[in-house]
Amino acid sequence: MNAAREAIYLPVLFLTVALLGGVRIGQRVTLLPPTPFALILALLLTGTLVKCGALAPERLMSASRRTLANLNGFVLLVAMFLASAQAFNAATPDVGLPRVVFSVFLLVLLLNTLAASPDRVHVLRSLMVVFGSAFVIKFIVLATLSSPVDGRLKQALLLLLEGVTLGTLTQEPFHAVTGYLAFVTLLLFLIGLMLLPNAAHVDRRPGAALQARPRSDLQG
Amino acid sequence: MREATIRAIGLAAVGGYAAFIGWVYVREPQTTAELTGGITAAIGAYRIDQQAFDDGLQFFRREQFEAARTAFERADAARQDPRTQFYIAYSFYRQGWGRVYQDDALFRRGLEAVTRAIALAPDGRLVVDDTDLKMRSADELKAELEAGLRLELSDVNPLRVFKSRK
Repeated sequence: MNAAREAIYLPVLFLTVALLGGVRIGQRVTLLPPTPFALILALLLTGTLVKCGALAPERLMSASRRTLANLNGFVLLVAMFLASAQAFNAATPDVGLPRVVFSVFLLVLLLNTLAASPDRVHVLRSLMVVFGSAFVIKFIVLATLSSPVDGRLKQALLLLLEGVTLGTLTQEPFHAVTGYLAFVTLLLFLIGLMLLPNAAHVDRRPGAALQARPRSDLQG
Repeated sequence: MREATIRAIGLAAVGGYAAFIGWVYVREPQTTAELTGGITAAIGAYRIDQQAFDDGLQFFRREQFEAARTAFERADAARQDPRTQFYIAYSFYRQGWGRVYQDDALFRRGLEAVTRAIALAPDGRLVVDDTDLKMRSADELKAELEAGLRLELSDVNPLRVFKSRK
């Protein structure tokens, strides 16, 4: 990975995710810091990324690198961790039963992925589906149910949810811009994860120096 | 460019950006003026609109408190100047003060403004050199506003009508 990507582009991208992930635009602009639970999910996600090879920490921090390069690597890891926490913060409903259900669902999903140890591509695809579904549920389904305006989608959803007490599902209504911001945030986060230095280029043979190698060499 | 230079620039830029994000999360600016004002204040380059401040002061002395606040808020759109925030708080105090009862809503807004002024003042100490005012320190004004909001036995004391506004 080139120095500019490691020292500037990726940390700035992840910090932007950390900034935008907590933005909620309602009556006033509120900035929500990550919850302790989001930090735990971020930790699990980092572990999963390392295990599946989507993140190779040895390419960011190791004894063979210079101090400045190690500092850049450390900053990138911290920025990625904060961005993960804020991405979960953005994708999880803010209050009520949906928040509890989402939190448990994400926790189980991450633990399951960690245990299954899939490869990098599968984990990234899985994350895309997880964050995409969470976005649709929070910013389309729940936002429509919580909206004071009676649209066709709301009527259709109400029909589907007949018998359910809506008080447990509805969220604080927010400005439409919040949804767009969350979409951009999650997209940036996934792009950032794809650009992370991965294990496909690391020679893990004992005694081998860290160097760029094609994936086929590692599998052979 | 040398790799070490890129890395050093990156470290400094990311550190600055992270500090900015931390500041934004702590202060939660609501308008662009508050955001830009906060940044300029952080580097010591923030200036109020002096003309608007002088207008506000004139309105304040003529007891036209709402007009005064409009001018003060124009003068310090980013809410970064402790002296202007002090006058805003004082205008709420004077407008809300009454011989029989205080206007709690105005006192509450005054308390918010004076708390902001104290937070912005260096070391939290703010003294305004204005002979027209009976309370010149932000601490005094804050205590007066807090006392006005408290429900006490002295509130029903009939002698209270002889108290004067500060």
